[in-house]
Amino acid sequence: MNAFIIDGVRKTFMNGDVKEEILKGINLSLKEGEVTALVGASGSGKSTLLTIAAGLQPASNGKIIFNGNNMSTMNAEQVRKIRSSQFGFVFQFAHLVPFLTVEEQLMLMLDVSQSKRNKREQKGEINKILKLVEMNHRKNAYPGSLSGGEKQRVAIARAIIHQPKVLFADEPTASLDSNKSKEVMSLIQNLTKALNVTTLMVTHDEEMLIYADKIIKMSDGMILEHED
Amino acid sequence: MNIAWKEIRKNKGRFLILGSIVFLVSLLTFIISGLANGLSQDNAALIKDLPNGQFYMSKDAEETYNLSKLDKDTQDKVLTKQKDAIAFSIQMGFLNDRTDKQHSVAFVTSTDTKLFPIVNKGEVVLDRSMEDDGIEIGDTFTNNQYSGELIVKDFIDQSKFSHAPVAYINTEDYQEMYRTSKMQLIFAPGEDSAEVPAELKAFSKEAFLNTIPSYKAEQMSLNMIVWFLVVISGMLFAIFFYMMNVQKMALYGILKAIGLKTSALFKMMWTQMAFITILSLLLSAGLSQIFNRLAPSGMPFHLTFETTIQLSLVFFIIGFIGATLSGMQIKKVEPLQAIQQGEI
Repeated sequence: MNAFIIDGVRKTFMNGDVKEEILKGINLSLKEGEVTALVGASGSGKSTLLTIAAGLQPASNGKIIFNGNNMSTMNAEQVRKIRSSQFGFVFQFAHLVPFLTVEEQLMLMLDVSQSKRNKREQKGEINKILKLVEMNHRKNAYPGSLSGGEKQRVAIARAIIHQPKVLFADEPTASLDSNKSKEVMSLIQNLTKALNVTTLMVTHDEEMLIYADKIIKMSDGMILEHED
Repeated sequence: MNIAWKEIRKNKGRFLILGSIVFLVSLLTFIISGLANGLSQDNAALIKDLPNGQFYMSKDAEETYNLSKLDKDTQDKVLTKQKDAIAFSIQMGFLNDRTDKQHSVAFVTSTDTKLFPIVNKGEVVLDRSMEDDGIEIGDTFTNNQYSGELIVKDFIDQSKFSHAPVAYINTEDYQEMYRTSKMQLIFAPGEDSAEVPAELKAFSKEAFLNTIPSYKAEQMSLNMIVWFLVVISGMLFAIFFYMMNVQKMALYGILKAIGLKTSALFKMMWTQMAFITILSLLLSAGLSQIFNRLAPSGMPFHLTFETTIQLSLVFFIIGFIGATLSGMQIKKVEPLQAIQQGEI
């Protein structure tokens, strides 16, 4: 089922007096339970597309349709609500809140997403997700004491704790070594299947494409080819 | 979850530094304010401690109380009309003790009143600060312009004028010392100002205080220092909160990206500001009140609870404005920019 549709999305920037078109009419459908990887050279527009899809910046033209609603016509507060409750994010860096423990990072995300669960249920859910990402033994640790791979695992746990419909991952393995990258990608793939999440991921690492169900090659703001 | 508190708990050092600055600046302001008030009391407690009312002096004195000479008829007319009104005079002078040591005092005499101590002929009531000079009840003083001796009848608290202790004397003694039968001033307590005779000029308490030589200039300088400190503190607050916010821009961006409301970020900043400011102000206010009690008696220091609370409120409001102004950047921070900046 197509849970997320990108329809004719364009993005232009003014570079001095020159108008630059970064995205030139992108059409894309993402399916539940699938990892879609966006690949392409630097400047091909893949990260811009991901951030527009995630509601982190607006498109110049086109529609982002999520759950049948056009996000492009929503105001900032409506987009924020969707972002906090329906989307999860994994960035190139973990971007964990430095003064919160691993457990508190997830608790914060549940607060932000206005989880209806009571405290006990929240704790149970946090333990479950931390077990999934194999971080339950470090739940009282602060980010400063975690390794790069551990941080990224916590970032993934934070991205899925509130059971989002869509997971956006922007170069999630860029700051990790090869072994850690495989671990993290395997985790994203497994969670996508287990939780039936729609995952859109940007990567430049071809080795990681084996974890994707669909590969979209981009060049110069356009989609070159789809690979299943 | 209260992330404001969690940040304070984790970054104790950073908040301790900020709190110390608020504490030190506010303590300095309280101390300077205490000294300003103390000097003000030292200069004019005699007048300041009187109830609110109207002061009258002769028009031709050109707003200089010691040039004022009240005509007896005019004085009687006002005193008859306004029941609680009193006529009084102040003159700077000296008292010589038995060892011929001179003590600078402000001689005050008045018509019968409850506002000033009643003194019989040949007696003097002194400000308690003279006790520190070893003077006791029963001691006698002479004055170069007075034929007899003045015996110390009592001491009275906080009665100073022009930085000198007040010496209350009987009107007859005063007339002998200063070779005048005319009083300088009339004081009528109460808010209502009765019809002023044409030859008199009326002053409110504040206006009269400003006619005292040096009082206005001294107070203006001290108040300027206090308010300058308040303004500087406000700027310091704003700068420190700004610096703290600048360091946290990436964090704010990430929190926004995961869906935290801008208002929640402001709430976080205000909570931290309120916590640091209230704690620092409580400490500095407490310490300045302790200093108020323990300050050496020779030091003119006077800090009331009201002044402390007023200044604390001003500090809190300034801290709030400073933090809010510096926090306006939070509104502008773009989640995308923060994500692209790298690890926080």
